[in-house]
Amino acid sequence: MIPDRIIEQGTLTTDGARSSVEVRIPWYRAIPGSCISEVSLAVDGVPAPAQSLRWGMNGKTFRIDELADKIDEWWFPLDSAVVSGDIPIRADAREHRVDVELKLYIPYIIIGDDEVLRIEEHDTKTMSARSTGEAAA
Amino acid sequence: MTESDTTMGTGATKGSPIQGVTLYSFTRAFHGREYDLEQLIRKVAADGYGPGLEIIGFSSFRGFPTIDEEYAGWFRDLVDEVGLVPTSLAINADIGIHRDRLLNQDELIEYMRRQIEAAAKLGFPIARVQISITPDSMEALAPVAERYGVTLALEVHADQYASHPRILALRDRYEKVGSPYLGFTADWGATTVGFAPSLVEAYRRRGASEELLAKVVALWDEFYRAGPPADQAEHGQRFGRFIALGAENGRPDLGVDFGINGTGLFGPARVDDWLQIMPWIKHVHGKFFGIDENGEEPSVPVRDLIRLLVDNGYNGAISSEYEGWHWNHWQSPFEIIAGEQAVQRSAAQDAGSAMVTRAADARTQLAAWLPRTEGANA
Repeated sequence: MIPDRIIEQGTLTTDGARSSVEVRIPWYRAIPGSCISEVSLAVDGVPAPAQSLRWGMNGKTFRIDELADKIDEWWFPLDSAVVSGDIPIRADAREHRVDVELKLYIPYIIIGDDEVLRIEEHDTKTMSARSTGEAAA
Repeated sequence: MTESDTTMGTGATKGSPIQGVTLYSFTRAFHGREYDLEQLIRKVAADGYGPGLEIIGFSSFRGFPTIDEEYAGWFRDLVDEVGLVPTSLAINADIGIHRDRLLNQDELIEYMRRQIEAAAKLGFPIARVQISITPDSMEALAPVAERYGVTLALEVHADQYASHPRILALRDRYEKVGSPYLGFTADWGATTVGFAPSLVEAYRRRGASEELLAKVVALWDEFYRAGPPADQAEHGQRFGRFIALGAENGRPDLGVDFGINGTGLFGPARVDDWLQIMPWIKHVHGKFFGIDENGEEPSVPVRDLIRLLVDNGYNGAISSEYEGWHWNHWQSPFEIIAGEQAVQRSAAQDAGSAMVTRAADARTQLAAWLPRTEGANA
């Protein structure tokens, strides 16, 4: 629906071992954490190990599997979530290719018996990386 | 205009629909942080897209459906100040909100109750609900709607249409229940006459060949000639043929998109199909996809739809619902919506009536049209 906006330009940050990027919802309305099904992050083709991924939203940080029961933690259409994972890169002027894939349940679209629509959206953008300290300043 | 001019052969008094817009039309501008909610509401008023104002709860209100009194007061004051009239709050039945199961009936009713309460607090006289609400659920929600003074208008949206079995089952249940708080929102996307040219252009920009584009349009035209799908099975078959078209022509990446749009946005029912549910149509989504070089909507028969509503005495609101924003990133939605509303006004005049464009008139008319226009017990 709005996949071109998933990755926010210029938000790649790293501490050398972990990298993160801000992401926007590719849908027109809020969904709760329970509808965030799968997340992947890769920088320069190197994917973050699934166990290392974290999802930051509403000032809190979750493992992806922790989102499954978060029905009261909403991802609002104007808010950036933060996806981070173990990907070692250096904060310098070099351009990095960032790939994010999101698989989201759309909770009001029931497509079969007990089956809820799940959309798969992907975005790729190129940007340089800032160091985590610099980004926080 | 004389009294006799406002009647037609059937003896029905001509309607004068209320002009309006849903903020959904501006999704990319809001999502892109070009306008926050207040700025967008002020622009809608200043640029004359009202007076009717429809909003999707889960899109525009942070923390929805929790709405505190202070926020509700701020919203109502803002809408009053700028001269808009709240028409419909679009709400959702998030039956699949739990990862491992669907909501049960009691949970669903409570989930909807909270949103209906929010509609009343915010001053919306109508809550738009969707097809996943069954006749049993609508019946169970009728007393909730009455308690809050909010009419529930279930949206008839492609791939369904007015004479679809699921919609007729709802209509028949409404008749049995007999509550004035149950009705329909008619979405014009159920009764289109073509695959939107702006979407064809978007596929062209994504590298689809002219040959493939011609085949997509021809397949849609074939379905139009056949009329709307009889049931969900036939709908699924049509969806599959769009997918196959992409695969057979070297663009499997576009096939699902052809199917979603070809069956879910451009419904092939005829305009007069709406007569099956006309007395229960309480609200209208003036769904459209673009305005051509002649100032007309090439794939939605806006003029015929306005005439149908006028001739059948429709006095509710029409929310212009621009959906071309999904693919048309090269034109401003604001100008396109202004163009579509000009077609609506012209069509209403041609039909011997006029769109209501003054807020005071809209308030008075909506009060007469709906059982209540003020939330009760909110």
